[in-house]
Amino acid sequence: MYTLGIDIGSTTSKAVILKDGEEMLASSIVIATVGTDGVTQVIRNVLDESGIKEEEIGCTVATGYGRQTYEGADYQVSELSCHALGIHHVFPGARTVIDIGGQDAKVLSLNEQGRMVNFVMNDKCAAGTGRFLDVMANILKLDISELETEAAKAEKVASISSTCTVFAESEVISQLASGTAIPDLVAGICQSVAVRVASLAKRVGIRADVCMSGGVAKNGGVREAMARELGVEILHDENAQLMGALGAALYGWDKVKSVG
Amino acid sequence: MAVNELLAQLHEIATSPKKQLDKYLAEGKPVVLVAPVYTPNEIIHSMGIVPMGAWGADMELNEAKKYFPAFISSIVQSILELGMKGEYEGVSALIVPSLCDSLMCLGQNWKYAVKGIPYIPMSYPQNRKPAYGIKFTRAMYRRVINDLTVATGKHYSDYALKDSIKIYNEHNAVMREFAEIASTADISAAARNDVFKSAWFMLPEEHTAIVKQLNEELKAGPKAEGKVRVLVSGVLADSPSLLKIFDDNDIKVVFDDVAHESRQYRTDAPEEGDPLQAMAIKFANMDNCSFLYDKDKKRVDYIVEQAKAHDARGVIVLMTKFCDTEEFDYVPIKRACDAAGLLNLNIEVDRQMVNYEQAGTMIQAFKEMV
Repeated sequence: MYTLGIDIGSTTSKAVILKDGEEMLASSIVIATVGTDGVTQVIRNVLDESGIKEEEIGCTVATGYGRQTYEGADYQVSELSCHALGIHHVFPGARTVIDIGGQDAKVLSLNEQGRMVNFVMNDKCAAGTGRFLDVMANILKLDISELETEAAKAEKVASISSTCTVFAESEVISQLASGTAIPDLVAGICQSVAVRVASLAKRVGIRADVCMSGGVAKNGGVREAMARELGVEILHDENAQLMGALGAALYGWDKVKSVG
Repeated sequence: MAVNELLAQLHEIATSPKKQLDKYLAEGKPVVLVAPVYTPNEIIHSMGIVPMGAWGADMELNEAKKYFPAFISSIVQSILELGMKGEYEGVSALIVPSLCDSLMCLGQNWKYAVKGIPYIPMSYPQNRKPAYGIKFTRAMYRRVINDLTVATGKHYSDYALKDSIKIYNEHNAVMREFAEIASTADISAAARNDVFKSAWFMLPEEHTAIVKQLNEELKAGPKAEGKVRVLVSGVLADSPSLLKIFDDNDIKVVFDDVAHESRQYRTDAPEEGDPLQAMAIKFANMDNCSFLYDKDKKRVDYIVEQAKAHDARGVIVLMTKFCDTEEFDYVPIKRACDAAGLLNLNIEVDRQMVNYEQAGTMIQAFKEMV
């Protein structure tokens, strides 16, 4: 039985096809904001990669920001539940999940069965999200993927406000004008995101293992800053961005099994 | 009348306050606005004046920003915005109680920003329970009476206040009964809110008559099944978009600790003795509210007790943005809910919210967690 999980995020669409709730046959990430043809594209990608026809999919589950507007789904599930399922599948020992997406940040607390027992989300604010990193990378004329390597070169972490993206933007410009090295600034930016999200995480309570998911988890600078802030090792998977879609596919498999 | 017809009637009133204002004015009844949170509505009513709730509206704020900083509750900002835009034209005055810093600023700003509608301050004592606190409250009620007479030409009498206290106590009882019946009846979160919200735009005797019928119909009607039972707390829970998310996710409000809703009906004024003193005693007896000073924070235990008494699985706090009064209480509420095994969720809301996606995700995740 094949199940399809689609995570329609604010900045990217992700899809995963699972066979019998175990084997990941295909996955795809398409950079496209919600409301565009990113969903169609990402589904086409995974169907092409797996060689499976759409009618062979036993259950389709949509999650993420655009889940309610995708009409092709059998179920719509919140991204929090899906990230919990996806992370538990990859890291069964995970008890705390930090998911930083394009425009929000969430911290989930899982029990031994991988079930979400508590969560907290950020306020309606770009600070501590992927959007914050996008804005900062743009000011520094860097690609978002370069932030990790730049942060690694830092000799001193520059101090950046963690309160507001707009204020932080002017701070970065001021520091550039006063000659602060770009790697130091990037390290400060990563630190800023980590401080912001770590404060959320402390509200839920930190229990090891702590895992990061979502697009920002790919950024080693943020992961390391987060580990420093929380004083724990941060686990992540190379497919961190796919955890929501994976969780959605797993949810579909559970549904198929429960229906028989 | 059937449940649906009664609810439709209350929905119409809850969503058309201007029509209600025009109706009362056409009947020759002066109308006075009452701002959050507690005002002596019995006194206003006894003077032949219609007290009408002014809790603002979901809207874009422009004019009010000339007077308020950005970091202040959008409830008070939207009250001023409506006043400045002439939406309250025809009312005789606005009464603003001194129950938080933002409300005090509202009164001061109103004086300068809204011409033609006088501002009447209602100053409450912080220590409302001791004899000197009761004496102070009574003296301030006297001041309100004088200001109302100046604004409307209407006069006060003890006899009329005694009658109004009885009318309000009956309304309180009917609303408390409704809250209990609604905890099991098959009524949506939106319709439940309509019952509470409409009360702010009607004379209590008119509202009592409808809610009495509604209670009887609901008692005999079907019960809610398979819903996620929650207690909702906060200042205001009247956003149609948010309530739709509750209903779409099968969230059942089994009880509330909402200032705009049940907090208004918990305490009756004594019906015996000096009625003005009774009104001051009523205020002294009020409790379990973030706006009423209580060093012991008994409200925290009250929320947990009510959640358990109503078999709620969790507590949803609708936190009005920049309402520091409510924010101070949140930490002990969360701790108490955690300790009691009650799932809890804090959703930030304000009058300018357009996008409810984040709130929708949180509520859906809350339901999935349950």
